[in-house]
Amino acid sequence: MKQTKKLLALLLCLGMVAGLAACGGGTQGTSDSPAPESTAPAGETTPADTEEPAGEAATDPDSIDDNMTSADNTYQVAFVTDVGQLKDKSFNQGTYDGVKLYAAANDLSYKYYQPANGNEATDDDRFDAMQAAVNGGADVVVCAGYLQEAALTRAAIANPDTKFVFVDGYPLSDESGNVLTNVAGIAFKEEQAGYLAGYAAVKDGFTKLGFSGGGGGTNPACCRFGYGYVQGANAAAAEENVTVDMNYSWQYGSTFQPSSELQTMISGWYANGTQIVFACGGSMFQSISAAASANDGYVIGVDVDQSGESDTVITSAMKGLSDAVQWAVGHVYDGTWDEIGGTATSLGVNDNAVALPTSDDAWRFETFTVEKYEALYQQMVDGTLVVDDDYTKLDTTDWSNLTLTVI
Amino acid sequence: MTFLIQQTLIYAVPLMIVALAGVFAERSGIINLALEGIMIFGAFAGVLFVNLTQQAGVFDAAKANDNYLALQGFMLLAMLVAAILGALFSLLLSFASVNLKADQTIGGTALNLMAPALVLFFIRIVANQNTLQMYTGDAASWFMIKKSMFGYGRNDDMGFFGSTFIDKTYLATYICIILFVVLSILLYKTRFGLRLRSCGENPQAADSLGINVYKMRYAGTTISGALAGMGGFVYALTTANCASTGEVAGFGFLALAVMIFGNWKPLNIAGAALLFGLFKCIAASYTSIDINGDGVFLLAQLGISPHIYRMLPYLVTLVVLAFTSKKSRAPKAEGIPYDKGKR
Repeated sequence: MKQTKKLLALLLCLGMVAGLAACGGGTQGTSDSPAPESTAPAGETTPADTEEPAGEAATDPDSIDDNMTSADNTYQVAFVTDVGQLKDKSFNQGTYDGVKLYAAANDLSYKYYQPANGNEATDDDRFDAMQAAVNGGADVVVCAGYLQEAALTRAAIANPDTKFVFVDGYPLSDESGNVLTNVAGIAFKEEQAGYLAGYAAVKDGFTKLGFSGGGGGTNPACCRFGYGYVQGANAAAAEENVTVDMNYSWQYGSTFQPSSELQTMISGWYANGTQIVFACGGSMFQSISAAASANDGYVIGVDVDQSGESDTVITSAMKGLSDAVQWAVGHVYDGTWDEIGGTATSLGVNDNAVALPTSDDAWRFETFTVEKYEALYQQMVDGTLVVDDDYTKLDTTDWSNLTLTVI
Repeated sequence: MTFLIQQTLIYAVPLMIVALAGVFAERSGIINLALEGIMIFGAFAGVLFVNLTQQAGVFDAAKANDNYLALQGFMLLAMLVAAILGALFSLLLSFASVNLKADQTIGGTALNLMAPALVLFFIRIVANQNTLQMYTGDAASWFMIKKSMFGYGRNDDMGFFGSTFIDKTYLATYICIILFVVLSILLYKTRFGLRLRSCGENPQAADSLGINVYKMRYAGTTISGALAGMGGFVYALTTANCASTGEVAGFGFLALAVMIFGNWKPLNIAGAALLFGLFKCIAASYTSIDINGDGVFLLAQLGISPHIYRMLPYLVTLVVLAFTSKKSRAPKAEGIPYDKGKR
């Protein structure tokens, strides 16, 4: 009898574990207290002068409150987050910075919406968030992340008068194949940023590299980052006439969340000689930088300049999320939406949309100089250096100076 | 090898100390299913303390001057805070099951359900997101013991013992091991321990000899709460970069399993926790485990799917449990509210 009771208790426990794991991700909704900003201003380097200097009154995005209250309770510029948290110090935060900066500079109201159920958000949850944004009076809804495609298609068809900016996305069409002109797809040439980071790391003397990506290998942006990183490392190794090793992994990253397993895995890499790891995915950075800090290793950040987060960050493969969002939202308000609506925009070096941070406190390479970096950057702009973006070739390519270990 | 030992300890120690927490409650006659909830609450309390203290800048000078002793003291304080709040949280369970004579399984489950919700609620108020992190820096640079503290340079070798048990370790790990030993002795070799255990076996007999069963059960559960709260913080510190997210990856429930697995005996529990920790570590890092140091990563070369490795810790627990559970013997009176009038 006692034994069966015990068993029952155990079974209950197991049920609870499953239940907890399922809903661990997330509460939603916004609260009124401003987020306590940690240490460094996640400073964008310089507002890139793309075609249109939209929010020229560029201030520190962190000084703008995440939650604003508009007088008439409508919010004109809305942001729907990707998986992960708003303040991930990376993708979501960088995108929202653009929303805040544009809105603040142009006296618009803004608000963010997090789809329900956190990382387990369904297309319905995302659609609900977008619809809530539209019902909240949004002129333009900025949706971050390619995962939003299905929900965004529905929302765009249901609300033809609202403009949608699809960050890390592409143009969408309805069932009969008509392109939705109220959706602007904005993608980045992440492979160029990855190339810059990989090239710089190897040029600086690192020979054992790592790549830990988010999205489980299905996120095109992360795949492009990784593919470019490998190409850059290989090219630099060929120039230096050395052979570099690289661990390449999508494990424990599918939800972009930090985890003790990820930390252990990366610690294992560092313990076995890996010197620098490209932390390619939002909050995963936490686990990777913790492992780096424990093992005196180095980290390459992603999306935004993450040098303020940890001393282990030697550089960051940035994409100009904030600038691109301001640029796109600007098109809504100056009546030139037709230029970008329904088309694919892919921003790269030519638009100043991908880069490494070059400010003094973010540049932590020892032998690789800013001048050399700028020369390389110029080659990409000229077109003398072309970085391939077809990441399906990663496994099949025979790398001349790089041993790729896919984990 | 060094890596394997260190990582195993990191996983095993929170399990061990929380399983011991379970032993203290159950030996006194209270089933403490709330271990998970208390861990979550303790982790939150410790991280919040670290965050607020950093925000107030109390230890900034110590950090700037590399005053490691002060920083270790800071960590101990945080552990203490986590333990105290864990103990307070567990009072809810003792009150329900001792004074109100409520069903202990339900009481524990209620706390397990309440803790993550409450903690996430607080985190959203404090941090406006779902994770509460350190205010500045990371766990390793603030609290980890490194060879540089002992004057070794980056490329100096500390020898096998030094590099395994001193370099890149947390003092918290050793505090937990020492506590584990001391409390095990307390449970088995002191008058207090004997009385506590008697309340879990035959409270009527204990009462007839003048032992206050209610007090003993309160003591057992409170010690249990303190240990679980501390274990929760140690878990957050060593494996989660000192961040609180309203969960501890089911470690509280695993600790319950380890406790049953270890037959409510400290030595067996330590063994069980180490076994589980070892497999957990292998699961996460099998690709970079080089057992004999010849540069060959055997486990990676076997070509087995990573999912198999990830199942291993749980499979091993199941198998060992299947073989040992016949002999396992729970304290006789656990789970039964003590009623003076009943004989």
